[in-house]
Amino acid sequence: MPITNTFIILATFTSPEQICPNPQAMLWLLPLTAAIALVYKATKMPKFTTGAFLKEAAILFGSIVAFLIITAWVLFTLAWLISM
Amino acid sequence: MARLSKQNHIQLLLTVGLLSWLLPGAGYFVLEEKKRAIIIFVTITLTLCTGLYVGSIGIIDLVGPVPLYVKVAQVMNPPIVLAISHYTAGGGYPVYGWPNEIGQIYTMVSGLLNLLCIVNVLSLAYLGKITQEGE
Repeated sequence: MPITNTFIILATFTSPEQICPNPQAMLWLLPLTAAIALVYKATKMPKFTTGAFLKEAAILFGSIVAFLIITAWVLFTLAWLISM
Repeated sequence: MARLSKQNHIQLLLTVGLLSWLLPGAGYFVLEEKKRAIIIFVTITLTLCTGLYVGSIGIIDLVGPVPLYVKVAQVMNPPIVLAISHYTAGGGYPVYGWPNEIGQIYTMVSGLLNLLCIVNVLSLAYLGKITQEGE
């Protein structure tokens, strides 16, 4: 039974997931942003303590997301002005 | 870090660099930075697995008509990507649309994060300290 389960799990990696091109698909950037923030801070913090690491990573994650939102808003406004 | 002879130092750098490529975070583990090693291993492995799950193993295509920057970034992942590429060569696992793009982005980012870790662990092994931004 465990071997069957293992093959079932491996089989899910042989066919792509269904992702619709809708606004909700933009949420896929959040795990990626979290990964970037965690790895970057793990490599750059001189003194590694769990509390400080989580705080720094959360700040970087928030900064990246905020910058992405501002960029999207500016591009959306430009597109709206051009297409008026 | 204890002073090492020049030959031992080069061996350490090679070992740490190679281990980091083979297994994300392994270089930090060798240098006794276990918390960093665990975080890096879990994060990079999860990012790579998410990309492979969303886009399927078909997104790793190192011989097909994929842009060079995608291939270079994906090769920076641990060598399991090379094994998958050998398995998917020939276009047996076609992927199109958003799953292809999201899967490629995730696997590229995991590869580039692994490259960042390799460069950083080599720097740590060479200098004996973490350099901060701007140093």
